Amino acid sequence: MPLDTDPHTDDADLLAAYARGDAGAARLLTVRLTPRAFGQAVRMLGDAGEAEDVAQEAMMRLWRVAPDWRAGEARVTTWLYRVVSNLCTDRLRKRPRRSLPLDEVAEPEDPTPSVEARMQADARMAALRDALAALPERQRIAVTMRHFDGASNPEIAAALDVSTEAVESLTARGKRALAAALQGQVAALGLEEG
Amino acid sequence: MTNSPPPRKDDDWIDSVLDDLARADLPDASDDLMARVMGDAQAMLPPPGGRVTQAPWWRQVVDGIGGWAAVGGLAAAAATGFVVGLGGLETVGVTTPWSVSYETYYDSPGTLDAFGWDMEEG
Repeated sequence: MPLDTDPHTDDADLLAAYARGDAGAARLLTVRLTPRAFGQAVRMLGDAGEAEDVAQEAMMRLWRVAPDWRAGEARVTTWLYRVVSNLCTDRLRKRPRRSLPLDEVAEPEDPTPSVEARMQADARMAALRDALAALPERQRIAVTMRHFDGASNPEIAAALDVSTEAVESLTARGKRALAAALQGQVAALGLEEG
Repeated sequence: MTNSPPPRKDDDWIDSVLDDLARADLPDASDDLMARVMGDAQAMLPPPGGRVTQAPWWRQVVDGIGGWAAVGGLAAAAATGFVVGLGGLETVGVTTPWSVSYETYYDSPGTLDAFGWDMEEG
């Protein structure tokens, strides 16, 4: 059966087929993996244009690594997740740091509550993305896989090649670091209780 | 003086912020992006049957010798030759320093005279 008519073909098998020059495998991997990579990048970067560049670069690396891919060592999706995560982090760390207190943001012409709320939400997301980018890789991946992709501890453990107990620890430390990074901006970002 | 509300537990408000970001609408990957990725895939597609990758230099050496079994035999032969060579030194009158143990040296006649014992034992 041709690969592109079988939706259950494993990604690693498709990658092996690509490495043997199978154009159908290239098409199927593109359709399967590009939207995932793009979605992850949009969530991390908050910018669709940059996210497209990251997704394209990540997929390019996948094509490049295909001939040397060792089946059974890692899942293709996990490998791609890490690549996208690291590419996004590189971009976020190169961005100039934002000045987050809203007092310093230009007032809109018509400061209706919805506009202010939207600005505050945007600032909150930007601050969170910056804080995520500052986390060590394993903590960042544990937190984002858990919260953005709904991954279970065993799934995260397999992705990071650590024990499930270590996943708990990585996630907890990651969230503590995020809390510490955002602590000084709690009021400005509208994070108080009440 | 205003009473500011106590901060929430770290997990609560961080979970809430992370969930907000997780719920944010994501745009679909554009046709342009899909076409670019597909174009890259086609451009980098290995030839049918796969690309022949050049083995690293050390593997070429190992393969040239005859594989890992041959490398093992060669190493064993080299070690044997070295030991045989060391044994042969005595027959030509060469005393190798490492063939004389500490005890042999210390107890050999003429190594220590009375002055030497005095120095050693006080």
